[in-house]
Amino acid sequence: MKTSYRLIGLMATAGLVLAACAMPVAQPAQPAQPAQPAQPAQPAQPAATEAPAMPAGEVSLRWRTRPDNKEEADVYAGISNEVAQKLGIKLTYEPGGSETASYQDVLRTELAAGTAPDVFWIPGTDIADFVQRGLLLDLRPYADKTEGYSDSNYYPEPMFHLTYNPATGKPGEVLWGLPRDVSTFVLYLNLDLINEAGAPDPRELAKEGKWDWAAFKEVAEKVNALGGDIKGYGMNAWWGPYGAFMNSAGGGFFNAERNACNLNSKESLEGLAFARSLYDAGVAVPYGEDSEPPFRAGKVGMFQNGRWATPGISTVTFNWDVVELPKGPSGHMGNWLFWGAYVVNKNTKHPEEAWKLVDALTQPDVQAKVAARGTNIPSRVGEAVFADFLKILPEKNNQAFLNGLADKPTAEGPLWTGSWPDFDNAMGAKVSDVLTGKLSVEDFGKTICDEAGKAFNK
Amino acid sequence: MTPATTALPSAGSRGNAALTVLAAWHAILCPSLIVGALALLNGVPAPDLITIALAVGALLLGVGSAAAAYFIVRRNHLGRTLSLAINYLLFVACLSGLAHALGLFMGLDDLADYMARGFPFLMGLLFIVGYFIATAEVRERPVSLARRNLGRVLMAAGAVGFLLTAGVVPALASIPGKYAGGGLLPLALTLGALAVGYMLWRMSRRDCAQAMGAKNIHSERLNGWLFLSPNLLGFVLFFAGPLLFSLYVSFTNWDSFNKRDWVGLANYGRVFNLAVQPLATPDQPLNEVLDVRLYDELFRLNLFGQGYVVGAEDKRFWISLRNTLVFGLMAVPLSVIPALLLATLLNSRLPGMRFYRTLYFIPSVAAVVGVALIWQWMYNSQVGWINYFITSAVNFVNSVLGTNIKDPQIRWLADSDYALLSVVIMSAWQWLGFNTVLFLAGLQTIPRELYEAATVDGANPRQQFFNVTLPMLAPTTLYVLITTTIQALQVFDQVFIVSNGTGGPGTSTLTMTLNLYQNGFQSFRQGYASALAWVLFIVIFAFTLFQFRRQRRASGAYDM
Repeated sequence: MKTSYRLIGLMATAGLVLAACAMPVAQPAQPAQPAQPAQPAQPAQPAATEAPAMPAGEVSLRWRTRPDNKEEADVYAGISNEVAQKLGIKLTYEPGGSETASYQDVLRTELAAGTAPDVFWIPGTDIADFVQRGLLLDLRPYADKTEGYSDSNYYPEPMFHLTYNPATGKPGEVLWGLPRDVSTFVLYLNLDLINEAGAPDPRELAKEGKWDWAAFKEVAEKVNALGGDIKGYGMNAWWGPYGAFMNSAGGGFFNAERNACNLNSKESLEGLAFARSLYDAGVAVPYGEDSEPPFRAGKVGMFQNGRWATPGISTVTFNWDVVELPKGPSGHMGNWLFWGAYVVNKNTKHPEEAWKLVDALTQPDVQAKVAARGTNIPSRVGEAVFADFLKILPEKNNQAFLNGLADKPTAEGPLWTGSWPDFDNAMGAKVSDVLTGKLSVEDFGKTICDEAGKAFNK
Repeated sequence: MTPATTALPSAGSRGNAALTVLAAWHAILCPSLIVGALALLNGVPAPDLITIALAVGALLLGVGSAAAAYFIVRRNHLGRTLSLAINYLLFVACLSGLAHALGLFMGLDDLADYMARGFPFLMGLLFIVGYFIATAEVRERPVSLARRNLGRVLMAAGAVGFLLTAGVVPALASIPGKYAGGGLLPLALTLGALAVGYMLWRMSRRDCAQAMGAKNIHSERLNGWLFLSPNLLGFVLFFAGPLLFSLYVSFTNWDSFNKRDWVGLANYGRVFNLAVQPLATPDQPLNEVLDVRLYDELFRLNLFGQGYVVGAEDKRFWISLRNTLVFGLMAVPLSVIPALLLATLLNSRLPGMRFYRTLYFIPSVAAVVGVALIWQWMYNSQVGWINYFITSAVNFVNSVLGTNIKDPQIRWLADSDYALLSVVIMSAWQWLGFNTVLFLAGLQTIPRELYEAATVDGANPRQQFFNVTLPMLAPTTLYVLITTTIQALQVFDQVFIVSNGTGGPGTSTLTMTLNLYQNGFQSFRQGYASALAWVLFIVIFAFTLFQFRRQRRASGAYDM
């Protein structure tokens, strides 16, 4: 009897190994998934989704994004199947881990190991690092042969970096990828709290051109005065939110050439001081705490976040809307233009098809499908695109996002002459000390560029 | 036990003939391997470490083959040992190479999917029913042959269903295609595996052993090494190899992609590069006393009325070292002392103790990431449970006693004064259960007679605990202390989750492993990260050595 068990066990093990060995053939064809996101709910994060199996010898590509949740991953899986049929290639879509699961770190490690997908999405801040390590394919030769393609179809700010040639220091010469989408900050408003506090409606103030730092602080203070655990304002602890205040004051992280630290400029310090004043006055959710849970619990009047927060916030039970960021001393909101791009692995075996995939993934109809979830804004420009975007959640003030993108936003940009992780590590630690009251703005200004500036030496 | 050393009977002619073939085999293998190694080194303009390692391995095996051939001709049993070892290693290498050439290792990633698809058949009705029928004889006797055979058939049907669902048919069908598409390499490796496998099998036969004058003790040793070999090969390939590789990398500026220049001790120099300068005034700017292009301010101190500033080239290393040591100093006592007390409590014979033992062990088996996320939520100063209970308690005390105690509203993870402490509490909570189980096991080995004797001598429970329990638990305590200290000095998961990988707020939760991760996998300074890893190793080794020495002095029983 024991021999039978051993034989069966051995057979099963050998069979499994053999089956795994023959993955491409052994995998039975799966039916094409419907194009629309309405797919049956599954209990776990979906595994890699393959399009219907193609005959042997067909081009096979793997591609990856960083979806925020399973619903978004399902949308991409559906898009993958459609694009595969349209291009006549075999596509395997791999939903990457979340931002907190170190998406980029995993991707770089896979690139180093030679197991990365053919096409993948990366955030704008990482483009320079990937390019300078020689990991991305220049798509310019393929784009130039593509009918209807033009760099001007997309927002110019991301395209500056996506066409920047580090060898010559000029934009427009190369093409590292195409932007998947864009986003920008708004203030998510708990209108019930604002009404209860008797504060003016920020949306009305914005329409009247009176939505500035003073008005913003007044609303925050009035909501905060409701007492208990209610806070007037909340932001999360990363470079985006406090960077917007610096931009709004006329400052910023870098100089105009993006090759030196600008954190100690008068304007940058003014922006940081304003942010600090919100914490000193106790009107903000303590810096370092995730502000989204208390906002969704109805305890925060205004929550600063991007379009990506919309699907989650849509589920709250109170009356909510959005308003653009207030204008600072510079006369602008100082908003960011967040973006990420589809790029091609330099070691792909099928560069032509990989370019076609990137191009297909950034077509208006595909972008519209992704944007329909309310997660982001199409990266293409044009009145038709804007009009379609305004139809998503039409009862909400979607125009606030477009206003943010129109008011001289600063593109989330890579560092072509330095190390962004090093800069961010040095800056983030010090800013955290300022916003938690451990370090004065003045002392921050005295030393920050000595520390963060070292990122440009590497 | 004295090992048997009786010589085996003399060899026959078949054995001698086989040995002649084996000697010839090794005589051919020797130059082939040496030439192959040299070709490997010459064929690559800038050979990477794996190529060098392969070439060195081939050279060693080539030299070993020459020695094997020599000793086989001399009929020295060392030749048999060498031949078996070399052929065994080559056989493993050929099979591994074949698996790689056929894409087997990539396919293994999909095992989970195949397992899931075939699982209903594997563990489903057929298998379970078959098992119960086939093993009925264990429970009830006698069982008919027909019934037993029915069970076997059902089990086999389940296994076949499992394999079919997993896709074994197309897998088998794909193998010829893989050979055809893989060029000469898979074929050569298959032939190589067959040839080496045959030589291995032939030398292991009794007639060859007899001809080589092998004794029982030699066979026993070989069997011992054979059983040890899977673990030993795994250790060399996946532990010692990477360890040595990281040591090599720590002397380079490797970035995982392009650069890999030898930089000598520069990485270690950067880690430990400190500068101390006197200050004219306590608040003198750093850039007036130190080269701020190189150094960041670490701290200022006042010695005998003179102020000094200490700068570091890598400030984050020193901060991470401090945080790691502070973490260890808090987390180790917090997870060891309560564990000892808890184990003492759980060792009593009160009803329900088994339930509590299980209960306290649960955090140890829970996933660190899940635990950290739950604690992160509980620590939220606005909507977390911990502050909710503190607020409720403060309100209750104020209302009952008429006091005016202020609600502290601690910002557990947002305040750099509390963040590390929060991680300590979370970690200690998670490690407590495992340490408790270890102490419990130690407590249950203490002879009852010692307590009875102590009771007769008039010792009270407290005296018994300090004079019997603690000394008898010394080996367990040492083990618990060492493992918990190592765990604490390597803390990563918890801080990574609660600080979102930043080590914040500020740098308050930046530990050595997190700093290492940031350097290695965010900035991709693998060379520098490897140097940090070896510094961490030295720190852990120093602590472990200290604990061993301290224990040896205390008991005189445990030597390094």
